[in-house]
Amino acid sequence: MNRLEEIAEPFQMADRDFRLELLLEYSDKLPELPDDYRELRDQGMNMVHECQSPVFLMAEVEDGTVRVIGDVPREAPTARAFVSILRDAFDGEPPSEVLDAPADALRVLGLSDLLGMQRTQGLSAIYGRLRKQVREKSQSQA
Amino acid sequence: MAEYAHPDVLVSTDWVAEHMHNTDNVRLVEANEDVLLYETGHIENAVKIDWVQDLQDDTVRDFIDAEAFAELCAENGISNDTTVVFYGDRNNWWACYAFWVFRLYGHENAVIMDGGRKKWVDEGRDLTREKPDFSRAEYTAPDGPNVSIRSFRDEVLEHQKRRGQMVDVRSPEEFRGEITHLPDLPEESSMRGGHIPGARNVPWSTAVNEDGTFKSREELEKIYQEGEGLDRSAETIAYCRIGERSSHTWFVLTYLLGFDNVSNYDGSWTEWGNLVGMPIERGDAQPVEA
Repeated sequence: MNRLEEIAEPFQMADRDFRLELLLEYSDKLPELPDDYRELRDQGMNMVHECQSPVFLMAEVEDGTVRVIGDVPREAPTARAFVSILRDAFDGEPPSEVLDAPADALRVLGLSDLLGMQRTQGLSAIYGRLRKQVREKSQSQA
Repeated sequence: MAEYAHPDVLVSTDWVAEHMHNTDNVRLVEANEDVLLYETGHIENAVKIDWVQDLQDDTVRDFIDAEAFAELCAENGISNDTTVVFYGDRNNWWACYAFWVFRLYGHENAVIMDGGRKKWVDEGRDLTREKPDFSRAEYTAPDGPNVSIRSFRDEVLEHQKRRGQMVDVRSPEEFRGEITHLPDLPEESSMRGGHIPGARNVPWSTAVNEDGTFKSREELEKIYQEGEGLDRSAETIAYCRIGERSSHTWFVLTYLLGFDNVSNYDGSWTEWGNLVGMPIERGDAQPVEA
């Protein structure tokens, strides 16, 4: 089973309130952005423009291992939680974990229901960004 | 400084801080764009009302019916005479939408906390993660929604034919027809880009200051009346993409500027842009006639 699907399991079993609790835990545990990336963020690089809030997201591939680096303000906890989930799922994994993960991550995590169709836009863009970067960076190393 | 037309619909963060423990008569309601924001911390004794989960019924693509509204109030400890104070993220965008739904169902004692969640936080006031648990209240269901503050598409078409006054509160790019939907939001897309002929374009967030509070009456008059030539006594329809941002402008025009007759076309561009036979216009609005 893919890492993302493992993470999704408790979400799928949870009701609405418990899903929010799970999300809150992920939002809370997103680590501070490493110093090396602050300059990039402050220059406005690697921002996901589809998000209404300033979401910084970068994927690196080093020696066949994915690194997920993200920063989302606390005022946008849903996007923050989602980036934290992606970090948990893919950081330290081989690129294939990302590339073979389900394309419809939001549905798999039960977030489409929770958010309503109207506000999943930014999250889809975050996920698309991550997959695109991993694909490009793993190809350039192959 | 001239007061707002109906200053009683706004309360300050100070007022909320003084009244937040009067839970028998006052209910704070946080309504946000972000579904998780309330959980990260909210004003003590505030309950959460979510626009997707609580205020809309997607089986009819409409806001909730009168019975569901009464149930929502009852379970949040709101009775017919409770003063409900709305606040939220993004310049009270969803707080205004929730306020609009409460007014549709005739709830009289409804107010907005000026400046919203941002101002409360910026002032360094406390938030808590503890969810209040109020005992169930009695709420007598209204007969039905007060549709005078809501416009339906046929009314909008009649209004448009009469060259009635309209405010399109979307971004200029959406207004001019350059973009038909937001990226990754195909279900809110439209077959056509543009606006309802004759509409003025005033993006909704024009009405607020940097700190989240509403602009002063003078500033608002300059924007809507002098700048766009809108007439306070003429019937006015506000719309956006799905009818939520326009509830913010409906609030501004009705309560802060005292327009006599403003309604929200909540079908908005998602409906109008896709309907057969509805006229549209592209490009900028015509200059205001002097």
